[in-house]
Amino acid sequence: MLDQVIRTTLAEFGERLRAFAPNVLAMLVILLVGAVAAGAVRFALAFVLPRLGVDRFAERSGLGDVARRAGLARRPSRTLSLAAAWVVLAVFFLLAVAALDVRVAMDLVSRAFAWLPHLLVAVALLLAGGLVAGFARRSVLIAAVNAGLPSARLLSSGAHAALFVLFAAMALEEVGLGQRVVLTAFAISFGGVVLALALAFGLAGKEVARESLERLLRRRGSEDEDGLKHL
Amino acid sequence: MSVPLEPRVADRVRALGTADLVVGIPSYDNVRTIGHVVRAVTAGLAKHFPGHRAVIVNSDGGSTDGTPEVVAETELGSPQAILASHPLPPTLKILTPYHGVPGKGSALRTIFAIAERLSARACAVVDADLRSITPGWIELLLGPQLEHGFDYVAPLYLRHKYDGTITNSIVYPLTRSLYGQEVRQPIGGEFGFSGRLASHYLARPVWESDVARFGIDVWMTTTAIADGFRVCQSFLGAKIHDPKDPGADLAAMLVQVVSAVFDLMETYEDRWGPIREPLPVPLFGFPHGVGLEPVSVNVGRMLGVFGQGVRDLDEVWGRALEPATLGHVRALAAARPPGFRFPDPLWVRVVHDFAIAYRRRALPREQLLRSLVPLYLGRTASFVLATAESGAEEVEAAIEALADEFVWQKADLRERWRGAERE
Repeated sequence: MLDQVIRTTLAEFGERLRAFAPNVLAMLVILLVGAVAAGAVRFALAFVLPRLGVDRFAERSGLGDVARRAGLARRPSRTLSLAAAWVVLAVFFLLAVAALDVRVAMDLVSRAFAWLPHLLVAVALLLAGGLVAGFARRSVLIAAVNAGLPSARLLSSGAHAALFVLFAAMALEEVGLGQRVVLTAFAISFGGVVLALALAFGLAGKEVARESLERLLRRRGSEDEDGLKHL
Repeated sequence: MSVPLEPRVADRVRALGTADLVVGIPSYDNVRTIGHVVRAVTAGLAKHFPGHRAVIVNSDGGSTDGTPEVVAETELGSPQAILASHPLPPTLKILTPYHGVPGKGSALRTIFAIAERLSARACAVVDADLRSITPGWIELLLGPQLEHGFDYVAPLYLRHKYDGTITNSIVYPLTRSLYGQEVRQPIGGEFGFSGRLASHYLARPVWESDVARFGIDVWMTTTAIADGFRVCQSFLGAKIHDPKDPGADLAAMLVQVVSAVFDLMETYEDRWGPIREPLPVPLFGFPHGVGLEPVSVNVGRMLGVFGQGVRDLDEVWGRALEPATLGHVRALAAARPPGFRFPDPLWVRVVHDFAIAYRRRALPREQLLRSLVPLYLGRTASFVLATAESGAEEVEAAIEALADEFVWQKADLRERWRGAERE
């Protein structure tokens, strides 16, 4: 009796395995094809993108700066080709999982594809944030130096950080990661900085604030005494 | 493209038919000075060109202080007057040391259009806020055209040795080396132009661009030279303005003027490339010296901004300047007055590097040129310190030495410009 149950169980398992084997094989084949495709895409883009001037464009537009600050030391064309390869591999991975024809896996695949647009928007927001923050940092730095403000670097870094945090918060909200936490943290931080500055100037640092303003006005006054006509 | 005129103005021009001479006066809220300017122009035309049919054109930018009414009421005598107005661009901000004429390019375009319709032979433009204009200026601006056939008459003013530092350290030496003509003050509010040059200006597609808005003066001078018109200069003496706008922003001024010069380098790259040596430009008038009021210069502030630029703008300057140039600039920051010097060869290198970086779009162009301000102030401080005990002739010799350095380094600029073109 017992051995019959065991034989029946094993036979049914064998049947299921035989029925499932093609799916597993399909998954492996798809993964293999995906790996080859990813490699081909990577090499093709690594060859073509530099010749299209992508690296030059990235340097001129400031995207190169954004990438370096994010810790990507590679040339932008190499980074893009690597990213494209990983995207191809991810797509084939999802297809491979879909080939298993398992309900949980199918659910996962359809959720992944539904989430993909949000991920792309978030990446675009981060890139845009990097560009805008970098532009603002340089503009504030140059303007502050031209005005003779001693805290030029601090001001420019502050402008950069504030803008990048804003765009990062928007990106995180887009992918739905800790939405309330991120927004609340952002509001608290921003509001806190503003309140702290107001208190500092209003109460604790009013003497410093007064002296800073007086120095600034005196500097402006001495500028007015400069009688040069530059043109 | 035909320049639209208000119907009453077009009718007036048609009624006048033709004119030998046109003198244009762009204006905007110049009620305090324009009466004197109109009387001086009138007297000049009557005294020096009595046999010629002359027209004064006041192109006003929407004054609210009664400027056009003053022009209309001022005793004119024989010259006819046309009052014209031009529309203000809605979002135009005039950052210009030429006081209070928003949209000067539009004002000049209107004057050129009227001169063309009247088939004028010789024309001139004078600023509406002049206090030092005399009737003799009219002869000096129109005479070279009528009597000697010149097309463009650039002004030459008597200036304090420290005035016009952007002109003296960048615009004059650079345009002299590029276009081969020694027009000493290529940016002047007063100038003369022939009728055919006016038609040439009107035909250029620049009237809606930033060059025409903010760099109109250097554009006119450069266009006249580069397009092969006969150019001369007239010595007008001291130029004294009504002090309406003392607080012009240096950075904005530098951006506007230098961007116009660099844009014109791109427009005329085929013309300036082959030119090797500059030639002198004929000078009319009687150069003389008079005492000028001393000018106070805050060298300490300039050196402070320069030093801060060396400390804080390394990353920005690294995108514009060659590594060797940047290294030499950094080394300058260690010196203090009165020994601080920004050598001519290094300054020329800086200007050329910025021109190449502007062409390559190494940075957003306005940011690039704004980052030039600390370098310009360092150079100006050096110039002031080096010429503190010098007279006007020695200062002029120093400016000419700088201009020669621009010529000597032009070959290198040419090569690098071609290289930037290939990128």
